[in-house]
Amino acid sequence: MKAPSAVVGIGEVPTGRYPERSDLEAAVTACRAAILDAGLSPRDIDVVMPTGALASSHFNVDLVFSRLCEELGLLRSAKMNVQVMAGGASSSAMLTLASALVATGSARTVLVVHADSIGSLPPQRGIDLFATTGVSEEWEAPYGHNMNAVGAMVSQRYMYETGTTEEELASVCVALRSWAVLNPNAMFRNPLTVEEVLASKMVATPLRSKQCNMLADGASAFIVARPDDARTMTDTPVYVRGHGSLVTHYSMSQDVDLANLGFRDAARQAYEQAGLTPGDIDVAEIYDAYPVFPLISMDALGLCGDERAGTFIAAGNTLPGGPMPMTTNGGMLSQGHTGAGGGVAVLVEAFRQLMGKAGERQVPNVVNAVETASGGTWMDSHVTILSREAR
Amino acid sequence: MNPLPARPLPRPTTWSAPFWEAAKQGRLSIQVCNSCQKPIMYPKQFCPGCLSDDLGWMTSQGHGEVYTFTVQERGAPTGFADCVPYVLAVIRLDEGVQLLSNIVGEGAINISCGDRVSVEFMTISGSDFALPVFRRDTAE
Repeated sequence: MKAPSAVVGIGEVPTGRYPERSDLEAAVTACRAAILDAGLSPRDIDVVMPTGALASSHFNVDLVFSRLCEELGLLRSAKMNVQVMAGGASSSAMLTLASALVATGSARTVLVVHADSIGSLPPQRGIDLFATTGVSEEWEAPYGHNMNAVGAMVSQRYMYETGTTEEELASVCVALRSWAVLNPNAMFRNPLTVEEVLASKMVATPLRSKQCNMLADGASAFIVARPDDARTMTDTPVYVRGHGSLVTHYSMSQDVDLANLGFRDAARQAYEQAGLTPGDIDVAEIYDAYPVFPLISMDALGLCGDERAGTFIAAGNTLPGGPMPMTTNGGMLSQGHTGAGGGVAVLVEAFRQLMGKAGERQVPNVVNAVETASGGTWMDSHVTILSREAR
Repeated sequence: MNPLPARPLPRPTTWSAPFWEAAKQGRLSIQVCNSCQKPIMYPKQFCPGCLSDDLGWMTSQGHGEVYTFTVQERGAPTGFADCVPYVLAVIRLDEGVQLLSNIVGEGAINISCGDRVSVEFMTISGSDFALPVFRRDTAE
């Protein structure tokens, strides 16, 4: 199938704790960088598509009501400002919808953006906020359910079914950190060892504090265009080649296959649509938030040969210089978890690698990349395949 | 010293109220579709199998197995700071539906996936709600 769309520009601000940086400042800075990266001017943007922000309801309402169009000089030129929110899956959802808009001719260009400052919330507010995102108020909150417990219970079941060890789980965090060391936009850049992960405090068995993501402030943006226009805008367009997804649950207690989620179905759909196979993938930008999710995703994507993802990653295959680079921005466990934008940053990193703009952590000769995402309590499984080649 | 913040209570709906009423009487109820006989958890307005509005109730035998679990030691949400460590688990009831609950009683923190458990009811202090919780079955 001919690629429906191409990504022509990216922008990002550093992820971490920036209480002095407003959400609006972060959003506008990331958007401006993406517009300039694409060699466009603001009035070239037809549609502005922000995702949801969690820390400030006022800022979120601003995103809904065209504040960015006013700040970026798009008044009386933008056709539509529309918020698309799918939690952590917003990255893949927004890319899919923006692609449809350009493929059907409804828009020539779509500016997709996320900005939030959940890292600057008081820690207990952060815990409580994520005890409501996909947690049933009637059926689960009364038991003390929360997001770290979601990651922990999926880990527990995955380990039970696959024999994955705590050391292997910890090695995912170590691999992600080794990439974040090379990422100036990451929150955590000091090297990490398996021993340090396993010595950190237990939060919710089997997850220790260094296996739980840290909430962060951040913003990232990208621009989607028609493939025919993309070549005139940039020398490094990234083509959207395939996408697959499946909704598996609202409350995690209702999922019948927590060790796989929906990633096998999503991967099959995405590979089929792209006309590519696991052997064609050069870099995997995998949604994490907790170390078990890269394991589930890598298993489903068929990127670990005959091995389980745990032994594959523990053996160093996904490290810088390794044969299957994975989540090269450090993921939410090391770059930081910005809410719906944690996944947007992972997706932007996929574009960055394919554009050859990843600096010190650039993987050589990247032609094809795969990206994954999931929202809420891993309510859905998204797989997207991206390429430097239109087909 | 301020009192600890209260833990969140269930907020029953018109279609879930019978579940909570039964819990107060020590029964674990499962909604059932009278059209397609599908057991339904959590209670719904319409059957997720056939969208029928003809729904009834059955009483669960109260037995099942641990699908997955975690022992929460830190980072509990507001209202649960004085409960740690506590055990969260997804229970697969023998009737074929799943629900989130707590594992309570001696040895709760040593629970494993696949362990057999049985329901009991825990009153939330300061309320008249009875929460279904589970305890590991002792070996025969």
